[in-house]
Amino acid sequence: MGFKFQWGVVLETFPLLLSGVKLTIIITIGGLLFGFVLGVATGLMKLSRSLPVRSLAGAYVEAIRGTPLIVQVMFLYFGVPMAVGLRIRPMTAGIIAIAVNSGAYIAEIVRGAVQSIDPGQIEAGRSIGLTRAQTMRYIIWPQAFRRMIPPLGNQFIISLKDTSLLVVIGVAELTRVGQEIIAVNFRAFEVWLTVGIVYLMMTLTIARFLRMAEDRLAQRGKR
Amino acid sequence: MIRIENLHKRFGGLEVIRGIDLHVTPGEVVCIIGPSGSGKSTVLRCINRLEEITAGRIIVDGSDITDPKTNINQVRAEAGMVFQQFNLFPHMTVLQNVTLGPVKVRRMKRAAADTLGRELLAKVGLAEKTGSYPDQLSGGQKQRVAIARSLALQPKVMLFDEPTSALDPELVGEVLEVMKRLAAEGMTMVVVTHEMGFAREVADRVIFIDQGVIQEEGPPKAFFSNPRNPRLKDFLGRVVANL
Repeated sequence: MGFKFQWGVVLETFPLLLSGVKLTIIITIGGLLFGFVLGVATGLMKLSRSLPVRSLAGAYVEAIRGTPLIVQVMFLYFGVPMAVGLRIRPMTAGIIAIAVNSGAYIAEIVRGAVQSIDPGQIEAGRSIGLTRAQTMRYIIWPQAFRRMIPPLGNQFIISLKDTSLLVVIGVAELTRVGQEIIAVNFRAFEVWLTVGIVYLMMTLTIARFLRMAEDRLAQRGKR
Repeated sequence: MIRIENLHKRFGGLEVIRGIDLHVTPGEVVCIIGPSGSGKSTVLRCINRLEEITAGRIIVDGSDITDPKTNINQVRAEAGMVFQQFNLFPHMTVLQNVTLGPVKVRRMKRAAADTLGRELLAKVGLAEKTGSYPDQLSGGQKQRVAIARSLALQPKVMLFDEPTSALDPELVGEVLEVMKRLAAEGMTMVVVTHEMGFAREVADRVIFIDQGVIQEEGPPKAFFSNPRNPRLKDFLGRVVANL
């Protein structure tokens, strides 16, 4: 066979991947920003006293968690425009897909964290005359938020990696750029290895930021 | 101050309280004792509607708390509650724990609330702990912060739900001491407790609840030295035997 690893290809590939890295980061940040808002809203809806509100939130979460992301992406990009007669740009579709997908998982993180707070905290808040909303805002949420950080970090990393699936709708993100390079130089081993290393650098960066955030919060006030 | 009429409370199929009438007058200290599971804590929790009542009527400071038109948050601010497990807010300093109610419920200015908070913490002997977090305190200190937190709303009545039951024995005294001082200042208090010594010394009236009804009540002297109800006799016998 005579395969010979070429360091030169790795070094050449790095700068070529930069445009893909940029798009991957934009889609991840955009998707997670909307996904976080969506997830918090859905998570709180799942805690609502109203059954219709809870059911609506539950249906969304189950639908997303129960179907593959790649199907969601293709449905959104190829399916929905057919039905509504409106084309969306691949980039927009990508951000929406990541937002809708991460939103469902973040909703469960939010719900779990809020429910993990001792019910005595709610009673104490209510007993000093705070309303339900005030108790949520001043007492439950700040404590729940701390508990959300580790699982949120996980979700951020998963969503970043999930952007690679957008290759199927032709978004020129990192994985797509890697494919294009290989189409020219046929060095699959070196290029995919390099692409993998670049993803790893990004996920390790997220992990480090989250550890810093955790330490910061742990310093003021314990538990 | 508090009037309870024919209170019933059911959890699923289990009727925990089966018809209780209780009238607490201003300045009165009422201690409620009874075996665990007798419903005594539930009565207390019904008074500020932490539990919804099944039937009956509860009037606190002139407001019928079962009336849907009553602003329950206002009633709760008038009835301070101290819990067995303290339930301090772990993410806030001691001072923030105490001032949250005055600022958010009473709409007090931050500076005035801080002054009030410091005064109350000094009163419970914790002037130097204002900047600490709850998990840096002992159980007895936590419970004293919880008392200050309730007092910060300047309530008309204080409800204590087994305030010393979660404390190490050597820390019970400091909490009871604070409660005694409150009683001496004329605070209306309803105390669910296992501290017979406290009930005997501080209560104006002691109430024995068992099987969801008041079995016996009276001034502490007669209550403890001359119990008539056989269940109370049995209960007191067991409590004393355990000491």
